[in-house]
Amino acid sequence: MTSKEELLEKLSNAVIEGDEDKCAELAESALEAGIDPYEAIMKGCNKGMEIVSHKYECKEMFVPEILLSADAMYAALDVLRPHLKVDEAGKKTGTVVIGVAEGDIHDIGKNLVLMMLDVAGYNIVDVGRDVSADTFVEKAAEVDADLVAMSALMTTSMVRMELVINGLKKRNLKAKVIVGGAPISQSYADKIGADGYGKDAVEAVRVANKLMEA
Amino acid sequence: MGRMTSAERMHAVMMGQKPDRVPVNPFAMGYCMQIVGLPLGDFYSDGKKSFYGQFMSMRLHGYDVSPMYGYASCGPWEMGGEIAFPYGPGHSAPSVTRHAVNTIEDAENLEVPEFRDGKLPGAYGIADDLFQMCAKYKMPVTFQSGSTFTASSVVADTTLFLKWVLKEPKTLHMLLDKVSDMYCNAIEYFADKYGPQAVMPFDGGPSEANTILSPKGFEEFAFPYMQKLHKKIADEGIGVVLMHPCADQNMNIPFYIKVREQMNWRGKYIWLFGPETPVQDQIDAFGAHDVICGNVDPPSFQTKPYEECVELCQKNIEEGKDSPSGFILAPGCEFPPGASPDKLMAMMDAAEQFGRYE
Ligand code: B1M
Repeated sequence: MTSKEELLEKLSNAVIEGDEDKCAELAESALEAGIDPYEAIMKGCNKGMEIVSHKYECKEMFVPEILLSADAMYAALDVLRPHLKVDEAGKKTGTVVIGVAEGDIHDIGKNLVLMMLDVAGYNIVDVGRDVSADTFVEKAAEVDADLVAMSALMTTSMVRMELVINGLKKRNLKAKVIVGGAPISQSYADKIGADGYGKDAVEAVRVANKLMEA
Repeated sequence: MGRMTSAERMHAVMMGQKPDRVPVNPFAMGYCMQIVGLPLGDFYSDGKKSFYGQFMSMRLHGYDVSPMYGYASCGPWEMGGEIAFPYGPGHSAPSVTRHAVNTIEDAENLEVPEFRDGKLPGAYGIADDLFQMCAKYKMPVTFQSGSTFTASSVVADTTLFLKWVLKEPKTLHMLLDKVSDMYCNAIEYFADKYGPQAVMPFDGGPSEANTILSPKGFEEFAFPYMQKLHKKIADEGIGVVLMHPCADQNMNIPFYIKVREQMNWRGKYIWLFGPETPVQDQIDAFGAHDVICGNVDPPSFQTKPYEECVELCQKNIEEGKDSPSGFILAPGCEFPPGASPDKLMAMMDAAEQFGRYE
């Protein structure tokens, strides 16, 4: 393993361990060693968060541990981001309006998806929880969103997502829609006309990237 | 065996005897308001209307449990924050609009509300209007007495609270202790007002689910306060507690078993687990002395046709019917407020067809 690979692995491990100080230090070291900040984010921070996400799905890590990892990741991002070349930051990514469907306050999952999209380089516009269809659509128009990402955890709120999709179409907005959350499935996403569905936060990013490439 | 009334059926189960058929607890709360043509929000904002909706729904469908009051975000209003009642589109239960605790200082300054006649904190005042009606009709007074962990997770900003699990355990314990004191006050007040044999505390919540918290976290931050409250319940001479470990709490079961063991309590728990916990696992853990409720997947009542709902209930009944200390057919959490009445009929029809004991 080269010293560059070693350093990126250490950064990824520090994210997994939720060690803020170590993450900031390693991010500094990466810059000093001449590592491209975009590469440090993707192969250090992003990789670490992907492993965290995987460990969550396997019940090896739980939400408090993930939140610590997220804080650690942001400590590294704070160091690395100011050094990104402008065109690199938004290369494959775009602007995402993200929120929880109307009537629903379950925002822990949405926040995890938000973090993963953030570290993957998306420009995030968080509209929060219990968000009306009008607010989603207005915000998407206002920021010229490439994507609208919606989370719903309840059978009562998931039905509100279709209104957003219809609203975006009515306004002829370009934003593509990804949906997710415990009661959502690929077939439900298809039924309401969403462009993509993510089972978990990692998949949400994968689907977002695919939609952006299309 | 002749047909029993609902009261006789529940009494038989609680006494460890066989009723005529498996009783039904549809855990129907917000749903009841559509039966009486009232908005869902009234269920939570008006105790008398809440009683009326539940009482009428219970009579119309013929199910076996009486009205109750509670919701997952109980605590914030009582401890100085704000909530909104569910009158908006897509809403299903009250939600927090302002958390009482957003900093460590807020946790330090948090005051434990007192429970006094004519001056009950937050939603307990609304709930008591319902309880008075329950007492009048000789129905159990089912009031919320937990969980401390879930209430604390919404008294405080939830993300901050979850970070404190690892970063600020001392502050977290201070917060949990104060919230559990609030529940101790509630237990004492209602046991005193209605009599310990007339009340049935309702303890449970989703925030300690293993989709959020590890079993180690449960042991350190949820279990001690559960022990504290259940000791209080035992000391007050209360004989029955309705327990709802919401969502996936499979890894927490060893701790739930310990609560009784460590107290050497002689009363009865009624367990209503989420659909993630196999009925047989519940019977193995608690069936020797406690009543087990079913756990039919709640969203199915909203999304699946009547026939499939009957089948799901049949399966649930077959799994639990012969549990040694009794079984009640139930969904694994609240019956969806927007489900149509034929789905509740599916529960009743399944209990009649597949739940008879003779
Ligand atoms: C855009 O693309 C994407 C792609 C992927 C996406 C995505 C978007 N969004 C999520 N994902 C995916 O990625 C994430 C990471 O893998 C995952 O996100 P999740 O959000 O699934 O996972 C999170 C990381 C962790 N999981 C969670 O955060 C949810 C956990 C459970 C236990 C839960 C909790 C904690 C809470 N709850 Co409540 N709660 C439950 C939940 C049961 C469960 N599913 O475990 C659920 C959702 N709750 C339920 C209910 C009924 C309620 N809750 C209520 C309240 C609460 C608390 C406030 C106490 C708390 C939420 C705190 C908060 N700020 O979020 C009430 C709702 C109030 C309201 N107005 O919304 C209330 C109505 C209860 C009441 N009567 O008061 C149930 C919904 C039933 C249904 N299907 O309709 C429920 C399934 C519990 C149950 N009964 O089993 C994936 O789904």
